Amino acid sequence: MTAMEEEGAPPSLDVSQRTDGRSASQLRPLQCSRGLLARAHGSATWSQESTTVMAAVYGPKPAAMRKENAERAVVEIIWRAKNGLPGSYEKEAEVVVRRSLEFIILTALHPNTAISVILQVISDDGSLLACAINAACAALVDAGIPLNGLLTAVGCGVTHDGQVFLDPTKLEEQKSKAFVCLVFPSRPLSAVSGLPADVDGEPFEHGILTSVTHGAMEVDEYFTCVENGRAATAKIAEFSRNSIERSQKRVSGAV
Amino acid sequence: MEDGEVAPAGVGPSGVSPFVSKVLAPGDVVLDLNSANKVLRVGSGLRQDGDSILATKVGRLRFQKQSNKYWVEGSQKRYIPNVEDTVVGIMVDRRSEMFILDIGGPAFGSLPILAFEGATRRNIPNLQVGAAVYARVVNAHRDSDPELSCTDASGKSAGFGPLKGGYIFECSTGLARGLLNKPTPPVLEVLGKSLSFEIAVGLNGRVWVNAPKVTTTITVSNAIQNSEFLSPAQQHIMVKKLLEEL
Repeated sequence: MTAMEEEGAPPSLDVSQRTDGRSASQLRPLQCSRGLLARAHGSATWSQESTTVMAAVYGPKPAAMRKENAERAVVEIIWRAKNGLPGSYEKEAEVVVRRSLEFIILTALHPNTAISVILQVISDDGSLLACAINAACAALVDAGIPLNGLLTAVGCGVTHDGQVFLDPTKLEEQKSKAFVCLVFPSRPLSAVSGLPADVDGEPFEHGILTSVTHGAMEVDEYFTCVENGRAATAKIAEFSRNSIERSQKRVSGAV
Repeated sequence: MEDGEVAPAGVGPSGVSPFVSKVLAPGDVVLDLNSANKVLRVGSGLRQDGDSILATKVGRLRFQKQSNKYWVEGSQKRYIPNVEDTVVGIMVDRRSEMFILDIGGPAFGSLPILAFEGATRRNIPNLQVGAAVYARVVNAHRDSDPELSCTDASGKSAGFGPLKGGYIFECSTGLARGLLNKPTPPVLEVLGKSLSFEIAVGLNGRVWVNAPKVTTTITVSNAIQNSEFLSPAQQHIMVKKLLEEL
């Protein structure tokens, strides 16, 4: 890479000595709270240590005339950055989140309605898009919107010397060559062996739903990111599942 | 109405799903239709995808042997109308042939003016905007607005109709269902022993409370809202504390 020879060499990042002591494939501690907002139909806060996003879901509610669709619900995302006016980053994030969520929301069950998801960035310490998608999924579950599955999102970075690491912090993102946000479907529980079925010989949860890359990386580096991401989503999905079960234990009439 | 019979864990002899009474998340595969030997009824929170039944919501899977029906019992703030639900609606508009009620769902419900016991063209019930009505959902298709009725299937009023006076508060659909359980939930039993009041519980997450004294109304409303996540023993203690302060 010619950039290495220039005077202002890019800051180096040593994956074996991350500032918080994590290994390359270690995620930050996860936290998820559901049902925090009194007015929203569903809400959730998802934290990956210092990166926190709060998602609120309203819907299904009647849609504005010009936006309504007679065959399915319209999904609307509003991304609120921590400060500043909304700009192109927010617009792009809204489109990415909307397309990811439209994959899991069963919009055909509620025609002529709108489902709004509002994402408020509370603090940003890297892997923001992944955190937001995880929060949005948890909020949709809290609102009882019919879904055909759950999502898990994870961030992955590549250093200038080609090392791949998971869940970058803000500083690590700035120092890396490129970083990517990967979204995979969550593997559901199944009472029937053989379901969900493999797709082209690969397990169902290995499918890439969304991939947003910042910066340029080599093709094999990208595939290493995908592999590491797949391994990580199993842990995130397990965490999400435990969080759901704990939230249901408190429901009245629980057996 | 919805007494979930707990089937034994593990696949039963009749091919019952092993997930009954377990917490499900969206996408969980509940049952393979090929292994079920009878016609199954699939209730709310589940959908059919090819040969399998999948969950669409978070909640506990319930199964009723008599009707061979599966459904997922979860609790939400938002109400989605289902046929045969009893709901508390608030009137928002009057059209020539029907009353428009807000039942808390994605669309307003329509209540025909003749859907009351003994109603004829000459004596139409006089409901004003803002009136509370206890009604039954007759039709709830996803492509149209829900239709309501203030009579049961045979035309009798059966407790449906306008609710005069009283106070309405909102709660989750899970709490509303719990209040309609048999046997009577402890919170209502203990309150009923010391206070005189009447309530109408709507499965749309609305509860109407009416009592001769305002303090009774407030106590009953607070007790019901507090009881959502309490065990029966805790409910007893909570209600006794509230009654002492009266």
